[in-house]
Amino acid sequence: MTAVHQFVPALLPRDATGDHTRALRDALRAAGWESDIYVEAAHDELQDEATYFEEYPSRARPGDVLLYQLGTSSPVAEFLLGRHEPLVLDYHNVTPESYYEGWEEHTAAKVALAREQVAALAPHAVLGIADSAFNARELEELGCRATAVVPILVDDDVVHGAVDAAERDRLAADHGDATVLLFVGRISPNKSHERLVEALWVYRRLYDPSARLHLVGPTVTPSYAEAVFAFADELGLGDAVRHAEGLTKAELAAWYEDGDVFVCLSEHEGFCIPLLEAMGAGTPIVALDAGAVGETLADAGILLAEARPATVAAAVDRIRRDDDLAAWLADAGRRRLEDFAAATTRQRFVDVLGGVVGREPVVV
Amino acid sequence: MPTPPAAPSSPPSPSSSAAPSDPDSDERPDTSSAAAGAEVADRIRYLDEVMAEIDAEVRRRRASGDLPAGLERELDELFLEFSPVGLQGRARLRETLSLVDGSAYVDIAVPTASNKAVGSYIKRAVRKGLGWYMNFIVAQIVKFAWSVSRMFHVVVDHIEDLETAVEAHRSPDLPVAVVPASSDGAAWWAPAATEALAGVRDRVVVADCGDASLVELLLAAGVDAYGIDPSDLALEPALDRGVDVRAEGLLDHLDVVADEALGGIVLTGSVQWLRPNERERLLDLVSTRLAVDGALVLHSASPGAWAASAPAVVRDLAPGHPLHPETWAHLLGGRGFAVTATVAGGDDRRLTHVGEATPDAGTVNAAIDAINDLLLGPTEYLVVATRER
Repeated sequence: MTAVHQFVPALLPRDATGDHTRALRDALRAAGWESDIYVEAAHDELQDEATYFEEYPSRARPGDVLLYQLGTSSPVAEFLLGRHEPLVLDYHNVTPESYYEGWEEHTAAKVALAREQVAALAPHAVLGIADSAFNARELEELGCRATAVVPILVDDDVVHGAVDAAERDRLAADHGDATVLLFVGRISPNKSHERLVEALWVYRRLYDPSARLHLVGPTVTPSYAEAVFAFADELGLGDAVRHAEGLTKAELAAWYEDGDVFVCLSEHEGFCIPLLEAMGAGTPIVALDAGAVGETLADAGILLAEARPATVAAAVDRIRRDDDLAAWLADAGRRRLEDFAAATTRQRFVDVLGGVVGREPVVV
Repeated sequence: MPTPPAAPSSPPSPSSSAAPSDPDSDERPDTSSAAAGAEVADRIRYLDEVMAEIDAEVRRRRASGDLPAGLERELDELFLEFSPVGLQGRARLRETLSLVDGSAYVDIAVPTASNKAVGSYIKRAVRKGLGWYMNFIVAQIVKFAWSVSRMFHVVVDHIEDLETAVEAHRSPDLPVAVVPASSDGAAWWAPAATEALAGVRDRVVVADCGDASLVELLLAAGVDAYGIDPSDLALEPALDRGVDVRAEGLLDHLDVVADEALGGIVLTGSVQWLRPNERERLLDLVSTRLAVDGALVLHSASPGAWAASAPAVVRDLAPGHPLHPETWAHLLGGRGFAVTATVAGGDDRRLTHVGEATPDAGTVNAAIDAINDLLLGPTEYLVVATRER
């Protein structure tokens, strides 16, 4: 039986790559292929679903295809370089180290190593699957011979799931009629949270003095997060900027529904799942056209060429003043979301991987 | 306010992002019928109209004084005060060194608190049982860490000594106030710049725009232009007239512009006296911020004329000097640009030939030609280039 086994540095629950890996395994099995997940580490909840990657050689069989979920540095990369099976990369992008330099040197070193590993693996791959054309271009520039763009698998319940009504009511009662700018994503320098704070400051100055900024996401770069919140305090926005992390899916859905405008000013994104989540919640989107954001969003939001706070504030105000525009953007988002339907993406993965099963590995 | 187009009856055609680049891969269903194409065009047109309104609103706010020209720069600078990235030179080195010092000590007293009663007991037992072993290992780790820290201190001290020596040779920054404000709309090269940028679809930035007369000329020609200038004072007349201008330096501005967001860039003023490393950074920025097929217009004094006629303070304090047009062509060619025109202009200071009747006219005129070639001639030039890749 044909086997496509996945390798991933860490298998985590409630994590985009972890959810994607497990969903893809299920899709491959449903297509009649064998598919197991090999890891460097797995969360306690998922121990039963993962096997330590160094155990693979004893289980290897002729005809196996190895699929590597690539988004960070790991010894798994070195291991795969030494294997002779056809290798497929599923590339989720690695943030350039320059974003972390000065903030967190060890993270900068870690992502620099990850990018070295991408460069080493790309020429060996029979196929590079990328979430976006932006990611595919990176793989091609690194010598990957064939690429295919297939979006990350996002479970339908992530974008159409239940909403925690009590949480939504609590948020609404908390801020009343104030405009809420929302961003969801880890607090990391490439996400440009300081630009969101600047935009809020200008928006409050020009349009709505009671406006708020809601930030949802884990603090992965503490020194950056401290600077962002200290900056907000200095501007007198301490009470206007709210941060939440560790939310359940239903709570997160409530924060999305509560937001008046989803504002994404990230300078580097390989795909940006929160855009899909905002589309699912019907929250109008204003985003900086950087990285893969433009292609993920397409014409389902207002794309800005620059993250100037005055421009961002004017865009938010434009949506707030025009109910027709807000409704049109919400509708456009829901339609765009149909392009990323899980069933369609699952089939795309099966089709694309079907093209490489049985191929000889690339000898560099 | 534009009216949104009607909601489409079918999903939009997927963007190119959903298409495989592998020619062997299956194609997605064809949804690019004429009707769907028109629908997509309607939606894009509507969003363009909305974006134009947003831009107009920003310009209105700037012109009204609601948004002082330097406000956004001040916000950026304020954030840098809270970030280690904002620390420059020695302060950053010392800050990083203090982080190394702070993490060089390894605490052997492992916390033993636990949510479970038995947990705390077990942890204390493990700590007590393994203490002698961990002590031995940790002592060596700490010794190593302090050795590394000590080495860094020596290196930092050495670097600071070197910086002190280098600092003595550094020229001060050219004060913005001593640079005369430009009024390029009336300059000899303005028509050529306007012609080169006519038809550009995306926005065009005019650097060191001064009174923004060139920006207005471009706007009148249908070009979506705006200006930047590091001098708030120079921009005041433009702000009074409601022109979209910002108080920013060229490099700082291009730093925050998205890749391929600009259809054209006009460089003049400070581009003539950038430091070599700043010039390299500028070329990197220009070659990424300008869209493919975008136009670059570069105006500069010729090196000889600049040495003879630039304001004395500028000449004395400028960190760099103008390049020859051939050098710009060479540098731009290496960044994927094709130079489409090089035009000489400005004051022509060439000496004229003496009449044939003059004694030794041939010798004198040959000498005049040599002087013209070496010292005189047009004082300025314009380079027009297109980004090809």
